[in-house]
Amino acid sequence: MNIKTLLCGAATLCLLTGTAAAADPIKVGLAGPFTGGSSSMGVSMRDGVKLAVAEINKAGGVLGRQIQLIERDDEAKNELGAQIAQELINKEQVVATLGFINTGVGQASQRFYQDAEIPVLNNVATGTVLTRQWPDAKSNYVFRNAAADSIQSAMIAEEAVVRHGFKKPAILNDATNYGMLGRSDLVAALAKLNVKPVTEEKFNVGDTDMTAQVLKAKGAGADVILTYAIGPELAQIANAMAKLGWKVPLIGSWTLSMATFIDTAGANGDGAMMPQTFIEAPTTPKRAAFIAAYHKAYGGDRMPSPVSAAQGYDSAYLLAAAITQAKSTDGPKILAALENLQTRVEGVVTTYDRPFSATDHEAISSNIPVFGLVKGGRVVAAHPEDLAGDKAVRVKPKG
Amino acid sequence: MDILAQLIVSGISVGMIYGAIAFGYQLTFSTSQTLNFGQGEALMLGALVGLTTVNFLIGQSIATPLAYLLMLPVVLAFGCVQGVVVEVLGVRQAIRTGSESGWIMATIALGIIFRNLAENIWGRDALKFPSPLTETALTIGPVHIQPMEIAITLGTLALALAVEVFNRKSIYGKAVVATSSDRDAAGLMGINTRLVITFSYALSSVSAALAGVLVAPVTLTGANMGAVLGLKAFAVAIIGGLSSGLGVFVGGMILGVAETLTGFYLSTGYKDVPGLVLLLIVLSVKPSGLFGKKGIKKV
Repeated sequence: MNIKTLLCGAATLCLLTGTAAAADPIKVGLAGPFTGGSSSMGVSMRDGVKLAVAEINKAGGVLGRQIQLIERDDEAKNELGAQIAQELINKEQVVATLGFINTGVGQASQRFYQDAEIPVLNNVATGTVLTRQWPDAKSNYVFRNAAADSIQSAMIAEEAVVRHGFKKPAILNDATNYGMLGRSDLVAALAKLNVKPVTEEKFNVGDTDMTAQVLKAKGAGADVILTYAIGPELAQIANAMAKLGWKVPLIGSWTLSMATFIDTAGANGDGAMMPQTFIEAPTTPKRAAFIAAYHKAYGGDRMPSPVSAAQGYDSAYLLAAAITQAKSTDGPKILAALENLQTRVEGVVTTYDRPFSATDHEAISSNIPVFGLVKGGRVVAAHPEDLAGDKAVRVKPKG
Repeated sequence: MDILAQLIVSGISVGMIYGAIAFGYQLTFSTSQTLNFGQGEALMLGALVGLTTVNFLIGQSIATPLAYLLMLPVVLAFGCVQGVVVEVLGVRQAIRTGSESGWIMATIALGIIFRNLAENIWGRDALKFPSPLTETALTIGPVHIQPMEIAITLGTLALALAVEVFNRKSIYGKAVVATSSDRDAAGLMGINTRLVITFSYALSSVSAALAGVLVAPVTLTGANMGAVLGLKAFAVAIIGGLSSGLGVFVGGMILGVAETLTGFYLSTGYKDVPGLVLLLIVLSVKPSGLFGKKGIKKV
């Protein structure tokens, strides 16, 4: 064996490993609470993402490579979320991460992605601050395709005051970050419509008796209750209202669509209204196919959280489109592609036509969500005319 | 006036739950001067075992109210075993060696273990407990009340009454009372005080498990449901007095009513404050609790 054959062998080996590297799967992080109180949202989101990735992989993957999801359960715990972010970045070396249900977890995790220049597609968490954590940074690696709280609070105020003509709203919120920030957004949104809440009441997560809060709202003469809280406590509000034989409409943030609210409140929760980016109804062929595929893969006839599933599904397609356009799995290149997405991405929530720009990382604008209504254990459209005809796909206006 | 009546009724039904858990603290404290800091977890385990049993029975196409009644003996038996486990693993050794604080750490540790166990068996989700009674509220005069809230009050009172009758009328009950008054003297009289203490732990967990299945239909069931309740019951036990069975129930009602009244008349944000202020006042004015007998410690 002479030196030539050796070199030749080495070169072939290089080529072989080279092709092997090209066929390596693209690793994408997937983080959310898959157990615990927020798990109905986390699991639906995860299943939506997995469904989209399976479709993408079946169609040949991205850049000729398969997408491999690295799933991690953050249990809705901020500190665990931060650990998972570091594990996904340093150990798994993901090219991007999809996920986050809880605003606190997002806040605790995103810093690591920002530092590592790895894009994050926030597909469920709604805290307004999430896409604005680093106003002075050169580039912002956080994107979102969920309805931010500032959009939701304006929608809630508009729905209650303008559409239904209520003038004496009472605000009930929990004492978490989510509830307190939501309340201040809501008060500001009401002030723009020259309405002042007749009372603002709060409660702790885990409280089992809402009699005092509901009585105060009743005593103040409220004609509608606006909420910012999560499922179990929202159910206690509905139950306390039923117990006291006092029925006014319940309008609140999208958490009123949580399974823990719908199941625990039962009939008492019927009529509750909340902004939804996605209603589980086959209003377009694309949505019909998505709903059918979801139930075929995961069983059941009701998604635990349709909004989370749909946004999870869309987030995977947005990322795939960006990687395809970037022709690279480099963080900064994916970022550039996301901020200037050339292809229209037809999702189930909306059709994304240049959803992001360098200054705007929110794919969901205030015209996209519609109001959902709890009816017989499901969320249906509160105003079916909002989704009728050509209004079925509501697209972000060109800004 | 109507609102006041409503608030008091709602406060009492919450307070009875605190009382039932605190009653468990009182049972073991009187016989052994120790208590189970994992009482909230005993409640949670009782509720979850009850949930599984009820769902199983409903799966056998038994009506919910009947399933609920059939579940009660299972849960009470489970509480009994769980209490014995706590006593044997966590408390017995500490009593034997005369350790002042060993049982505190041991029962807290057992509580954490039970919670992790429950998280692994039942998951971390809050689960809906099927209500045996109608969820439509009754209207009595100006007051609206859920049937389950009445059941909570009656159930916990029945438990306390049963224990009281047992203590007064039966020979075994007298052994418990004797151990409570003076463990050493009772031992000299031939009473197996170790067994009495084990028994009091079993009874303590039974009362917690019962409280668990009573409160579960009006809230949600889950591995973390016991933490807050156990802590509040601890405050109740101190307010009412750890040596008085009546005291803990009155203490429970005081705390429950104080919470709803503050929530309405002051601010819902300060709902938990008056209970704790009351706790501080009781501790500084009458450390043995409102109904507590002053203990004389002979050296």
